Amino acid sequence: MKRFSLFFVLCSPLLAADPVESDFYKITTFETPKETALEVGSIDLLPDGRLIMGTRRGEIWTVSGAGSSDPSAVSYKLFASGLHEVLGIAYNPKDKNIYATTRYEVTRLQDVDGDGQADVFDNVSDAWGVSGDYHEYAIGSRFDKAGDLWVTLCLTGSFSSVTPFRGWALRIKPDGTMVPTCSGIRSPGGLGFDAEGEVYYADNQGPWHGSCTLQHLVPGSFQGHPGGNEWYALAPNMGPRPIDPSPENYQGDNKRREARVGGDPGRMVKERQRIKQLLPPAVYLVHGKIGNSASAIICDTSAGKFGPFMNQLFIADQSHSNLSRVFLETVNGIKQGVVFPFRLGFASGLIGGRMDGEGRIFTGGSDRGWGARGGKPYCFEKCEWTGKTPFEVHEMRAKADGFELTFTQPIDPKTAGDLKSYSMREFTYAYREAYGGDEIDEILPSITAAELGADGQSVRLKISPLTQGHIHELHFEGVRNTAGHPLLHTVGYYTLNEIPAK
Amino acid sequence: MRFLLLFLLAAAAVTLNAADKAPSAAADLGSVKVIMLKTLTAQMKYDENEIIVRPGEKVKIVFENGDDLPHNLVFCQPGTDTMTMAMKQMEKPEEALKRNWLPDDKRILLHSKMLNPHEKEELIFTAPEKPGDYPYVCTFPGHALTMNGKLKVIPMGQGLKDLKFALFLGNWKMLPDFSKLKPHREGVVPNNLIDIKLDDYKNEFGVVFTGKIHAPRKGSYRFYIAGDDGVRLLIDGKKVVEYDGIHPAGTIKEETVQLNEGDHELRYEYFQAGGQIAVFAAWKGANFDITPLSSWRPAGWEKGAKAKKKAEYAPIPIVVAGEPVIYRNFIQGAGNRAIGVGYPGGINIAWSAESMNLALLWKGAFMDASLHWNSRGGGYQSPMGFDVLKPTGEVTPAFFIAEKPDAVWPVWDKTKRYEGFVWKGYTLDAKRSPTFRYTWQGVEIEESFSATGNGNKPGGNPTLIRSIKITGSLPANAWYRLGAGPFEKKEGRFVAKDRLPYSIIAEGAQMAGQNLVIPAKAGTLTITYQWAQ
Repeated sequence: MKRFSLFFVLCSPLLAADPVESDFYKITTFETPKETALEVGSIDLLPDGRLIMGTRRGEIWTVSGAGSSDPSAVSYKLFASGLHEVLGIAYNPKDKNIYATTRYEVTRLQDVDGDGQADVFDNVSDAWGVSGDYHEYAIGSRFDKAGDLWVTLCLTGSFSSVTPFRGWALRIKPDGTMVPTCSGIRSPGGLGFDAEGEVYYADNQGPWHGSCTLQHLVPGSFQGHPGGNEWYALAPNMGPRPIDPSPENYQGDNKRREARVGGDPGRMVKERQRIKQLLPPAVYLVHGKIGNSASAIICDTSAGKFGPFMNQLFIADQSHSNLSRVFLETVNGIKQGVVFPFRLGFASGLIGGRMDGEGRIFTGGSDRGWGARGGKPYCFEKCEWTGKTPFEVHEMRAKADGFELTFTQPIDPKTAGDLKSYSMREFTYAYREAYGGDEIDEILPSITAAELGADGQSVRLKISPLTQGHIHELHFEGVRNTAGHPLLHTVGYYTLNEIPAK
Repeated sequence: MRFLLLFLLAAAAVTLNAADKAPSAAADLGSVKVIMLKTLTAQMKYDENEIIVRPGEKVKIVFENGDDLPHNLVFCQPGTDTMTMAMKQMEKPEEALKRNWLPDDKRILLHSKMLNPHEKEELIFTAPEKPGDYPYVCTFPGHALTMNGKLKVIPMGQGLKDLKFALFLGNWKMLPDFSKLKPHREGVVPNNLIDIKLDDYKNEFGVVFTGKIHAPRKGSYRFYIAGDDGVRLLIDGKKVVEYDGIHPAGTIKEETVQLNEGDHELRYEYFQAGGQIAVFAAWKGANFDITPLSSWRPAGWEKGAKAKKKAEYAPIPIVVAGEPVIYRNFIQGAGNRAIGVGYPGGINIAWSAESMNLALLWKGAFMDASLHWNSRGGGYQSPMGFDVLKPTGEVTPAFFIAEKPDAVWPVWDKTKRYEGFVWKGYTLDAKRSPTFRYTWQGVEIEESFSATGNGNKPGGNPTLIRSIKITGSLPANAWYRLGAGPFEKKEGRFVAKDRLPYSIIAEGAQMAGQNLVIPAKAGTLTITYQWAQ
């Protein structure tokens, strides 16, 4: 497959260089305050256009001028310091205060004397445990449509939960009440909303997760890692504790070294039939290909100011220092969709991110702990649309017998209608306790038809077979637009939790 | 590829030889052991608090003062109370100053000059023949409590005797039960060091070594192993330490065993599946240092299983300038919801938002953030300064309901919360000094602190005044514990006994058993903490 695509690129008949990501999306790296290492952990917007930014070093900065076309117009003011890792920051339009999610509490910060620095630090909720283990990160959201904050809590290490609600998503009501909301979380890297305000988090590869994932936080759901399920005892609103994933899946780690009995480890599809609260990942952010360490979730709500991908999600990655793009749909009541590569080349590992009303993504982070391809120890950056539309697959939807692709530009009928322009591979990950996992159960289906849509910008692919629970890796190297250009990115990974009836 | 492999093998051989021959190579140069010792910036510490040498060994210590204050390095006879020795100078400070703060004391064996910041000095000497712990210390006033260490003069132990080997052939993934297998070949190991020297077998074999080891006295002994692949060490037929399965050799496993004086049977089992071959064993006793029992030794073997654990970062001191600075993180001795506050003038506290109590107070530098601001940010960081006081138990609340005030106060369980307390937050005043807010039994309580004097200077009389405002009526039998442990009442103050001396002053306080308490009721409690002068 790889050899094939390389060959194709080399033989491309174009004289001019093929388009590259930076032709369409520009990254600007800002200078940051000399007196600190601005390890961005979280970003939100203030109503006056400034940004509010929380860092891993426990500082909160207000940032002015970052939207300017002149990067030197940026300026910073320290709003608060000394907090324990600010991995969630939110401006509350109701009380006009800043809320920070830190290691052990959600803190409301007020600047009573108006000098630009917080002087009142109120504990809004500290209703979860922290044992001192490094892994017990707390990631916070912005305010959701009901006015609640969400907090996702890493497990204690990869496997266990030694103190209440490690491995859970919680909602914090405006009066500070904490509502246990979802179980089954392993190691969240970011929390975000889609255009309708539905809440998602990004989990990281490890036990019960063959890959990083984008997961839909449906209240009451179990997100897959049973390590924190003993806290159902403290969460009567959640109903009974889900049954554990199949015992034969316990193998390979946590000192359970006995040989696997019962054969092959389970699959998400099979376990969903047994465990009624289990919600599969909406999208597998395929390990090593899309990223290795998923973090911020950013929705394009700019109504076209960020280019053609309105309402789609952009997922940041610490390790790969990149953004990927996700299109989601709901099939049989469950979220699922496709992830495409989007933009490489950020200066450090990305952790926090936020888009403003003008369609500018502000993001940043640091490489520490896990390393990052970006190369810098930390960064604060901006990603903007240049105004040129890239030729990309715009949406990929599941159908009963295949997929429908829409494109950002009119397509060349000859190449887009040619079966040889496409190839597909299906695989999944074992749903098991051992750390990570290979791409398994590979199927190479037949592509039996590529029918052009009447709009000149879409194609219906017929695939046999479609496999429920598998990731459908579609390559479309051969497709050209009417100008003869290839697609900017030639692969998408669709997670087929459900096969639609039509 | 082949070239690269050859190159790697050659490099490995050089390393091995170097390790083997290090002592003889050094002998040509007069066999001097070189040790680097440095003072850390703004931490009142040497970078090593233990130096190990052999009896009669020639030693060169390169002592460097990396701090911004003057420091020296003074070695003393075993058993010297270096803290008292250094403090005694203050009885005649003018004389001590003339001697540049070097005590006039016969127990001093060797010393450096008082080095100014960033100066260096080399000390060359022959280690004492008599094994023991020779303390070293900085004798500048106020430094001895934290700036100290031990020069350990310790011999190597004895090696194995009558070492034999038995070779077995087989393809295993785990160590087999060799007692049920028939050896393919047997023989003696003349140099009595565990080693694999087989020209004819590279893969799929096992070796059992047996020999005698002499415990010089009854006591505990520690055994260390590493291997590629599985290894197990048994003494007198009982398993002591094991690292089974297929793995590279880098990790050292260690275990302790009690032995009677005399000879013991040592059995070392090994199997090789494929790839690299390596075996390592060593032991250590109370009166001898870690001693290898094998030819090959992994990197850092002298430190045992800790060899790879030591992560060091350049300090990131949190600077306290004109106003108080807050640092919320995992602070050693202050639990998981700690709030450090550094006040100007070298007085610092760590307050706990789980026990709602003052956990620690200390003098000098505030906090070093390097542990938390490097890598993944885990671990408990100790205060950066010195004279750390922990007036009550570790992360325990001050408020408690008990019929009698000599009751046992709650003990910290880091996975649980204390009942009856609600953490509310803190408010910074105009000088950015925090007032902590919480409720206990539904009653609102506020705590604020003010620091006077100077904790950075000798004789600075650093004082912390704590004010606790209780708004509302508390239940009957509510007590407030100010201190735990022995205190002696002297002239209206309670002076800590049998530990770093400091005093607590609070009107109405009383001793009840090991508790220094005050009845808890509505109003304002004022507590003064003072380090001994």
